[in-house]
Amino acid sequence: MNKIISNYIQDNKQGILDQWIDRTKEEADDRVVRLVSDRVFHATSKEFIDLIISNFKGSSEEYKEKLTDFAEKVVRLGWPLTFVTKGLHTFNSIVFEAMQKDEIIIPDNQMDFVIEFDRWAAPMSNEIVSIYSSTWERTVSLQKMALQELSAPLIPVFEGITVMPLVGTIDTDRAKQIMENLLKGAVKHRSEVVLIDITGVPVVDTMVAHHIIQAAEAVRLIGAKCMLVGIRPEIAQTIVNLGINLNQFTTKNNLKRGIEAALELTNKKIVSLEGAK
Amino acid sequence: MRIPILKLDDCLLVSIQWELDDQTALQFQEDLLQKIHETSSNGVVIDLTSIDFIDSFIAKVLGDVISMSKLMGAIVVLTGIQPAVAITLIELGIGLDDVLTALDLEKGLEKLQQELGE
Amino acid sequence: MNIQSCITIINEWDIVAARQLGRNVAKELGFGTVDQARITTAISELARNIYLYAGKGQICIDKLSEGGKAGLQIKAVDSGPGIREIRQVMEDGFSTSGGLGAGLPGVKRLMDEFYIDSTPGQGTQIKATKWLR
Repeated sequence: MNKIISNYIQDNKQGILDQWIDRTKEEADDRVVRLVSDRVFHATSKEFIDLIISNFKGSSEEYKEKLTDFAEKVVRLGWPLTFVTKGLHTFNSIVFEAMQKDEIIIPDNQMDFVIEFDRWAAPMSNEIVSIYSSTWERTVSLQKMALQELSAPLIPVFEGITVMPLVGTIDTDRAKQIMENLLKGAVKHRSEVVLIDITGVPVVDTMVAHHIIQAAEAVRLIGAKCMLVGIRPEIAQTIVNLGINLNQFTTKNNLKRGIEAALELTNKKIVSLEGAK
Repeated sequence: MRIPILKLDDCLLVSIQWELDDQTALQFQEDLLQKIHETSSNGVVIDLTSIDFIDSFIAKVLGDVISMSKLMGAIVVLTGIQPAVAITLIELGIGLDDVLTALDLEKGLEKLQQELGE
Repeated sequence: MNIQSCITIINEWDIVAARQLGRNVAKELGFGTVDQARITTAISELARNIYLYAGKGQICIDKLSEGGKAGLQIKAVDSGPGIREIRQVMEDGFSTSGGLGAGLPGVKRLMDEFYIDSTPGQGTQIKATKWLR
């Protein structure tokens, strides 16, 4: 049975390939087709069909290696998973319909063929999905690490004055990390005033504000003052509209004003040297 | 074991060196108030550098002793609260809102002089 | 693989013993200082609840390992009066003992996962888990 299907595909390879490309292009959303050039699309399609065929013959190791290569290539190209699984499905129906047309599959043996098709298609799509998801998991964990590395440095600018610029979206995990860095750094640098600069934070919602307020309170407990700087107009608007109360700590619109205020708090002042031009 | 309370000019100095259990904390509350009464000190610095955790009970005892001292005319400054302690307190929802704090003993004494001077 | 050790809470000293056990296990598992403080504090709150409300109970510390993650679970079990209004005690500021009312919602915030089951007249079971980041 297996042999019949395999031979049939081998014999009609070009026809199946052309039909597959036509039908896939038709069904796929424009996004994918536009994403890759025609040449790459054809080459990858051919590779895809070759891969499916190699499922029938050759050792299982060879197949697995090819499959991994292929899946990784597809991930790099940015093809959506649905596109690939749909492609597999399309391939199946093309072969099935063609074999029906050539009367290899007849009502009498139809059921057996359906079962046979399913027997080799299922592990294949499982394998593709699993390679896809493990590739994604790896990417996600790498990105998570990268995000943690860029998580909020603490910069001492003057004796007793430290700045922490926040960049990017803040979620609960990151907020906790930031709070730890902030407090440990403040103690290490013996900071009297800590400025949190939120110029680079795109959205300040209730949750982000809550974390910032918690951080400010914790800073007060270790014996330093916390100041929030870099509040853009739209952020001031959201804060007030959401009814978030930031009255308990000093806020300034930019880092410069914040540092001036911090200098004042620590009894320092920047003066121009006399006679300097 | 009792927590030693030292007198320095018109201030009292307390350094808590080991984990507080309930009895020690309550005993400390009593001792400190007694000492304030005896010495009529007007400032207290409690250093918590060696303390690596504070639960709601100990926080309450500390908060209470600060309010009580205030009633007796002594200002209390807490110093050296560790980052881990500060974070757990805030997450527990304990803000110790009206409490004065400073980074370390030195800064704490400075702060006390400032507050008393005003 | 779960390894468990338990402390029976009868008097105030057992609270100290329970949190010391928790801290040691947390240290062993490689939790940072802040998480160690969170875990120790959570144990202290839970143990104190047992001491204050149930009179007698148990705190168990489990090492968890699940799907490649390691974690620590605190289990607080007592057969005290139970909690009639779980929703109410999980609200901030609710306290029946005159404490700061930080108790259970505070513990929930300190840990990653929190589970409570209580039957009035039969007792309370609380599980709180912290995962190693």
